[in-house]
Amino acid sequence: MNERAQLLLSIADDELIIGWRDSEWTGIAPTLEEDVAFSSIAQNEIGHARALYELAATELGSDADALAFDRAPEEYRCAQLVELHLLEWAHTIARRYLYEEADRVRLGALKESADSELAGVAAKIDREEVYHRMHAELWAARLRDESRFREAVEELWPYALGVLPQELRPELARRTGLSVDSTQAIERGTHTPELAELWQEMTEVRRSIPGAQW
Amino acid sequence: MSANAAREQEFLEYVQSGGQVESTDWLPADYRQKLIKFIEMHANSELMGVLPEREWILKAPTLQRKLALTAKVQDEVGHAQLIYRVAEDLGKPRDEMFADLLSGKAKFHNVFHYPTKTWGDVGVIAWLVDAAAIISQKALLKCSYAPYARIMKKICWEESFHILHGRDVVLAMMTGTPEQQELVQEAVNRWWGPLMQFHGNPIAREEDPMYLWRIKSQGNEEARQQFLEGYVPQIWELGLTVPDSNLGRGDDGVWVYSEPDWAELKSVVTGHGPRSQERLDFRRRFLEQEKWVRDSLVAA
Repeated sequence: MNERAQLLLSIADDELIIGWRDSEWTGIAPTLEEDVAFSSIAQNEIGHARALYELAATELGSDADALAFDRAPEEYRCAQLVELHLLEWAHTIARRYLYEEADRVRLGALKESADSELAGVAAKIDREEVYHRMHAELWAARLRDESRFREAVEELWPYALGVLPQELRPELARRTGLSVDSTQAIERGTHTPELAELWQEMTEVRRSIPGAQW
Repeated sequence: MSANAAREQEFLEYVQSGGQVESTDWLPADYRQKLIKFIEMHANSELMGVLPEREWILKAPTLQRKLALTAKVQDEVGHAQLIYRVAEDLGKPRDEMFADLLSGKAKFHNVFHYPTKTWGDVGVIAWLVDAAAIISQKALLKCSYAPYARIMKKICWEESFHILHGRDVVLAMMTGTPEQQELVQEAVNRWWGPLMQFHGNPIAREEDPMYLWRIKSQGNEEARQQFLEGYVPQIWELGLTVPDSNLGRGDDGVWVYSEPDWAELKSVVTGHGPRSQERLDFRRRFLEQEKWVRDSLVAA
């Protein structure tokens, strides 16, 4: 697989899996207003994943659904941050906040890419991510005095660093006010057991009747 | 006749002649109480109705289906929020409504007490359960309480998309493999009983207090006939069968069917359905787990 396809899949997988995790809150978020917001965010992230899978599919002679669902869990290229099962609000918001900040840095770099197709998709995605960032920043500000939130941010910080390549990490540290030097990033390339569990559930219907159209 | 009784009689005549009232108008106590009870059950149903479907968001077999189902469930939560707000305006706080839902004091619709076993259920719920629901909701467009009637426009508009989504899920499966067709047929068999109970027992509308106050504008049996007339031909057209050998349309255009199991309906809506307690426990778990978040919002 060429480098471009690898890059596209790693971002698409991040967006798919975080969208999947966000959609776990649909129907059970702390308030009804927040429930609606989380469902919107989940749909946006899945929509971004689809746009990126479509680009990768052209490269790989596949299609977006096959890339999203028909690979084995170990073939996914997502960062461990998005895999974690965190159905608890302080951790959920800590992850959203860190992921959105990392995504902002990543999209900023991609928009400058010489690959005009990729730069175009990144710019389009960034327009929606603006609202996700406002949402995450609002919640981070609301919860900043809660020790459980601050602890969750610290706990997830090594995972957040792993979302980005080495050269973009100092920018993430600058934006969040956290330290890059004293922290061992949890790198992309290996997976948590939570991903395999998620994959089982995500592909259950699709695997039940192989080759069927849904 | 006392002054108050005369005023109440005047109010009754006004709503019975098609008049609508606003939240700032004087409302008879009995009317307010019935209205809250009705609206609260509707809101509870929207809220509890997301639980049978939300687990399938996580299992949706394509990206498009996942997006569509998330959007549908999001609409339902949005409806719950709109409807709870109408009830809040009438004087019952949201926390109290949640507490009454969890304790079993307030009810929710029968169809949301049953399990969803396969992706076939996902299609059949969105298509037929939402179709049954939209018939009741369209009749609320003429509700005597104007704020409730107004939000029903948006709700009915969105529900009509859910039916299209459901029909599309069903159609994809019915044009698919024999196993997929079987999943749909099994789902229709499972849901038929609860669907026939959905609009309630055939009490004459003049005896229905919700009709008396023109909260509802149609009787239970009228709604059920409308459902049968609209959807049974569509079900047959797709090659599905309905598990009722007595079902048929008479020469007079009235559908005949086997007597629905009213004892089951009563037992289910009073919290004894196959998933009643599990769903309430699930709702309770997250309401309790995330209480600190709501508290922090109030404090801010």
